[in-house]
Amino acid sequence: MKNGWQKFLDGEFDVMDFFPEPAEEPDLSREAVKEIRKEENRRIDEDPRTRKVVAFERRSFRIIYYFVAVVSCVVFIGVMLYGVSFLPRYGQENAWAAEVSRRYIEKGLEETGALNIVAGMILDYRAFDTLGESHVLFTALVLVMVLLRRDKKNQQSEVEDYYTIRNDAYFRTAGDLILSKTGTFLVPCILVYGLYVLLNGQLSPGGGFSGGAVMGAAMIIFAASSGFDRVDRFFSLKLSSWVTFAALGFYSFAKGYVFFTGANGIHNGIPKGTPGAILSGGLILPLDVAVGVVVACTMFGFYSLFRRGRIGGSGK
Amino acid sequence: MIGWIRFGLTAVFLIAGLVFFAGGAAGYIRFGYSLNRIHAGGLGDTAGLFFVLLALAFSAGELMDILKLGLLLLFMWSTSPTSSHFLSQIEYYTNTRLYDHVEREESKEDENGSC
Amino acid sequence: MTLETAYRLLYIGTLLVLAALIGIMLVRSIIGPRVTDRILAINMIGTMVIASIAVLSQYLMEGYLLDVGLIYAMISFVSVLILASVYIPAHPMRGPFGKEAFRENEMRTEPKTGKKGKARRKRR
Repeated sequence: MKNGWQKFLDGEFDVMDFFPEPAEEPDLSREAVKEIRKEENRRIDEDPRTRKVVAFERRSFRIIYYFVAVVSCVVFIGVMLYGVSFLPRYGQENAWAAEVSRRYIEKGLEETGALNIVAGMILDYRAFDTLGESHVLFTALVLVMVLLRRDKKNQQSEVEDYYTIRNDAYFRTAGDLILSKTGTFLVPCILVYGLYVLLNGQLSPGGGFSGGAVMGAAMIIFAASSGFDRVDRFFSLKLSSWVTFAALGFYSFAKGYVFFTGANGIHNGIPKGTPGAILSGGLILPLDVAVGVVVACTMFGFYSLFRRGRIGGSGK
Repeated sequence: MIGWIRFGLTAVFLIAGLVFFAGGAAGYIRFGYSLNRIHAGGLGDTAGLFFVLLALAFSAGELMDILKLGLLLLFMWSTSPTSSHFLSQIEYYTNTRLYDHVEREESKEDENGSC
Repeated sequence: MTLETAYRLLYIGTLLVLAALIGIMLVRSIIGPRVTDRILAINMIGTMVIASIAVLSQYLMEGYLLDVGLIYAMISFVSVLILASVYIPAHPMRGPFGKEAFRENEMRTEPKTGKKGKARRKRR
């Protein structure tokens, strides 16, 4: 019988030679295959040469791994440093490196209408980045839910259920008299303050992210001082999902116009208002509200998931 | 002339606030047990912050700044005792050799046993 | 000695003294044998930082920096709260924070019947 390679060289090549004949007997069942594999593994494990081979493989892998890790890190760092060396020195005036920032500083107020240049930048000039950031926060919440959530599908037994309830009661702070009275007074104040920071994004430092964080912290204080049952009355999974969806959808649709007007130089008719008033800056205020709401839901969602493994009521 | 009076008041109250902060820090370093150090913490939170913010209210330019300083003071005065309460609770519940440092009284709660 | 330089000297001196106090407190927070000492150090350092932020807002004549101070006060409060809930276990025998607080100040947040009641009864 000639070799396959020989047949190829001589020109007697037949494609159908590569496909084996169909088997006459059916395949083995899964349990039988598992048994055969287990038997083979047992035979390999009992062989005295196996341990030496495994040890040699492990050592050689470690040596090669360290070497390759060091070399790749050095190469990567070298390439990056070489690229960075073309930048101007720290603090030096350089026309071609600073033209974007000069444009933002000089024309920021008249083009965006916001007194706070940073808010004008992240929500008007570079609103697409902020859209991505909000989506990243939402994705983080979804992933934490995938990893940590306990519902009917995840719970294995009654014992786990007991420990969940016991840990929730074990580590609570809600029964304290001092904390509950302080929390009754503090939580509305902090919530209103968070709303103030949120709505003043275009006038003073603040904006969507910090205002949302303050509102999330107010919810955390509320949950810690009055117990989770009170928060579950208004913050359920359905509310959180719909609110984040609505906020992100509104952001995406509201800022979609720039893809048509910005590149083609068409003037958009969104009013900028007088700088210094609260209703100024075009679309900065609604987008601030959307981002703040997403951040607040995410922060409280994280706290609730890490404490009890669910957002909102248990629904049992 | 009024400018110098304002400066004088600011300086006096600021130095008073710094004295209280330094007293709090000195107490924190030199006291023997952690339950005593919580008292030193309260000193800084209440008196130190009050005098510092009062000093800054004298030299403030707008009304909004004074209101914000008042709000900050109100917030700190509401939350600092709760923080001290929780710190002492942590110490009480997690120290197994509490009664080496603390005197024990005979009271009716002992019949429950200590946990 | 004009008024401006007098104010500037005063504010910078205050900031320097507060910074030195913060540095001193860090030393004790490393030494201090209990966990309470360290959380207390964070709390006090936070208060000193709030004072220095307020002084800075007057020094730079920017009024909005006081918002930052308020947020910092809230953050330090929430941190002590959550750390306490990590370190204080609630003993069901004597109530979470004192026997009287558990029995008399029931806030009706945990229902007596239901899952938690069943857990409590199961333990006894």
